[in-house]
Amino acid sequence: MLRSLFRIAVVGLVAAGVAGACDGGLDPEPICARSLVGLCGTVRFRGAVPANTENVFIAAYLAFPHTCTDLINNRRPVIPGSVPFTDSIAPYSVPLSPGAYNWVLAVWKKPGTLTLTPADTQYLRVAGYYRDRVDSTQPGVVTVPSGGGAAPGGIDFVVNFDSLRPATDFVTCTAQ
Amino acid sequence: MLRGSVRDKDGAAIGGASIAIPGTTLSTRTDLQGVYRIAVVPAGRVRVHAAALGYGPVDTAVALTGGDSTTLDFTLRSAPLELPPLDVVSTKVARFGDRPATSVVQIPERDIDQRAVNTVDEAVDKAAGIQMLNGQINIRGSTGYIQGLNSRVLLLVDGVPMNQGDRGGINWDLLPVDQIERVDILKGAGSSLYGSAALGGVVNLATRDVPEGVHVRVRLTGGAYGNPPEEVWRFRNGTGLQGGGDISGSYGTTTFGGRLAAGARHSDGYREQDDGDHWQIAGRARWQASPRTRVDMSSAWAVDHYDVPLAWCRQGRCDDRGQAFQPFKVATASLGSWTDSRKGYIAVQARTVVSERFAWQARGSWFRTSFFDQRPPNGSEFGIANRFGAELRAEAHPDSMRTVLVGSEMTLSDVTSDIFGNHSQSEYAAYGESDQAVGVFRFTAGARIDFLAVDGGSLSAVVSPRLGGTVPTDHKGGVLRASIGRGFRAPTVAERFVHTFFEALEVIPNPNLGPETAWSLELGHTTAPLLHVLRLDAALFWTEARELIEPRLILIEESPNDSIPNLVPKIQLHNVTRARIAGLDVAILTAPIPDRLTATLSYTYLSTRRQVAGDTSAPGPLAFRPKHLLTLSADYNLGAVGVGADFRYASRVERIELEGFVDSRRVPVKVLDLRAGWKQGPVELRLLAANVLNYMYNLVPQTLAPVRTVTLTAVWSH
Repeated sequence: MLRSLFRIAVVGLVAAGVAGACDGGLDPEPICARSLVGLCGTVRFRGAVPANTENVFIAAYLAFPHTCTDLINNRRPVIPGSVPFTDSIAPYSVPLSPGAYNWVLAVWKKPGTLTLTPADTQYLRVAGYYRDRVDSTQPGVVTVPSGGGAAPGGIDFVVNFDSLRPATDFVTCTAQ
Repeated sequence: MLRGSVRDKDGAAIGGASIAIPGTTLSTRTDLQGVYRIAVVPAGRVRVHAAALGYGPVDTAVALTGGDSTTLDFTLRSAPLELPPLDVVSTKVARFGDRPATSVVQIPERDIDQRAVNTVDEAVDKAAGIQMLNGQINIRGSTGYIQGLNSRVLLLVDGVPMNQGDRGGINWDLLPVDQIERVDILKGAGSSLYGSAALGGVVNLATRDVPEGVHVRVRLTGGAYGNPPEEVWRFRNGTGLQGGGDISGSYGTTTFGGRLAAGARHSDGYREQDDGDHWQIAGRARWQASPRTRVDMSSAWAVDHYDVPLAWCRQGRCDDRGQAFQPFKVATASLGSWTDSRKGYIAVQARTVVSERFAWQARGSWFRTSFFDQRPPNGSEFGIANRFGAELRAEAHPDSMRTVLVGSEMTLSDVTSDIFGNHSQSEYAAYGESDQAVGVFRFTAGARIDFLAVDGGSLSAVVSPRLGGTVPTDHKGGVLRASIGRGFRAPTVAERFVHTFFEALEVIPNPNLGPETAWSLELGHTTAPLLHVLRLDAALFWTEARELIEPRLILIEESPNDSIPNLVPKIQLHNVTRARIAGLDVAILTAPIPDRLTATLSYTYLSTRRQVAGDTSAPGPLAFRPKHLLTLSADYNLGAVGVGADFRYASRVERIELEGFVDSRRVPVKVLDLRAGWKQGPVELRLLAANVLNYMYNLVPQTLAPVRTVTLTAVWSH
């Protein structure tokens, strides 16, 4: 009797293990997945892609940066992900902490080693940014909700390779 | 001379069985044919003890006459609930038949064979309380994961330390798995005998002895990797394959013996850019120089050339097919990364039994590792490390109730590398330990002092004491154990002097790193067999660690003369952390159908706290330590056929290092392996389906763990 109970227990434990192993692993995650904590949308590319393009990435700032140091130190994420730029349109997502982001932009980069210092701006250009839907001359504000709400989608904007702008058009860089 | 054999009730030889005359220096193990020999024995009536894992021990008294050869054969009866026969890790403490004061896990040859693994870490990963994280071993959460840059566990091969001279890590593929007879794992701080790196535990790989006569063994493996379970993750058109072969031959007489083994294997890998080739040779020789002196020599050389899937592809870094991450693919920019890794060692040991009360042992070893990493687009890195070791120790049994061990050890690591620089590190140590029986109690006390020097500089000293004791709780094998000990780990040359880049951040050297230290406390109980069907072992453990080395992001002023300070973030390793690792280890061994069905359930609960020096925020958990770790194994044997299963669960780790700089996706581990075997005469077939449910998980950031892999192994022995 006792041995039978043990046999049942062993078989039961194995079965429980198998059942428990059926889910919970890594799953495919579309760029704009519901589980994303951050923001997502599409980037449309215009103009001729410069020959020295290394990549294009999306970054966000909680507060609009005022200096080159702000530009580098306050960037989120610190190491941003790239967006493929060979097609005319590309979906993107950016994992971010909850909060209201006042500047979401695409950054163009040419070859060169980044050091996470203001000197990095020599390799970087502002390629485009998300604009306010009422006043398109101003950056749009995007709020990433806390508490696991759906990520804001539709944060779409345009990258124009013919008008890449240096950081100094937006912030003050006194020494590099 | 005392000689004979050890067999089971059906007359089958039991290899690796222990034979000893308790309370003396005299002990040995049986060879593959179950034969043993003790060259020097005292005259008179002595007690001889024979034991093997899974069999009930036998004690017998025999009258020995000086100068005569006496034959004593043993027949052991199957006893699946019997405890492992030895309480030693390597040969450092030659006590026999008593339970250890700290937790020891033994993985016998049978378990290694049943799991049909290619490298020994795949078998170690199934042991209770052990978790492998991308090649870094964690014993009760000891090491965590720092990109292979250190190990808080010491690896021994036949008692010889084999952690790398530069990075301190472990090459699990150093030895052909077919040459390993047994793995001993000591949990908790073991620095009082073993020195640096034994902060969290010690793993000893015991290789097969060379039996008498001619023996040949051929092992062939072949298998296939499962394809990605999702179409959007597909990265190749065909199925990835793996395969290899090993052959070993040996010849031995009573005086000499030698074995040579060679092998190779290839793997297509289960991810993009994951091909690997491995070649190896290994040898072992023994020489009974006199009835009292035995000399052993072992060596191995392994070459690996493999592609490196550095990190899985994140959105935009490859053809991401609209996915936020592609776990089977790598970033386009890192295509072309590969590593050439070579490692080898030679070790010579001599042991002289002066009398049944006194023996001494000496060893010398040379362990060499080298690597060349090709990492586009930034270039390459290389490193060559030589680790030389020597040890002399004496073992005395003043009476049958006491054992005394004293010894000294020296290690010199010499490193040449473009990322670690050219440096040397030396360690000189002296140690002693005594084991004393007082009535039913048995006490152990010992200490070791290590002197460390870098590049010939001044010496710094670390003292590692240890106290332990056991007491039987009944007459059927129940034992209560308690121990407290101090462990330490000297910073490796790589940790002190590494200069490289990680995700665009410069990693800079810190030559002032000091040793990590930890006090470990354990209280455990092993029950006697309960109701004839199960046995329980439980241990509470508590480790208080100081000065743990961890990477820190720091700001360095690059141009102090500029009018505007330019603060550059960099990574540097620091002694920054106080940590506590406490928990519970429980293992239940059951044999509901004796001789047929056995099962083990082991569970480890880990509670960790980490306090960074100077950080006043609330302590958080240590990185890469799962709170819950559960392993369930079952085996059913019927005649020549056996089937088995291993299930492993680890909860999602609460914290990882450098969160924010790496993809933080992580999930619990739930892996089921199924296996089957058939053995008839000299032929053995093993089928293994690892991760049979093709569960997708990662143990460390951006690195997919192995997918479903089906392997068939055939072994022929002569």
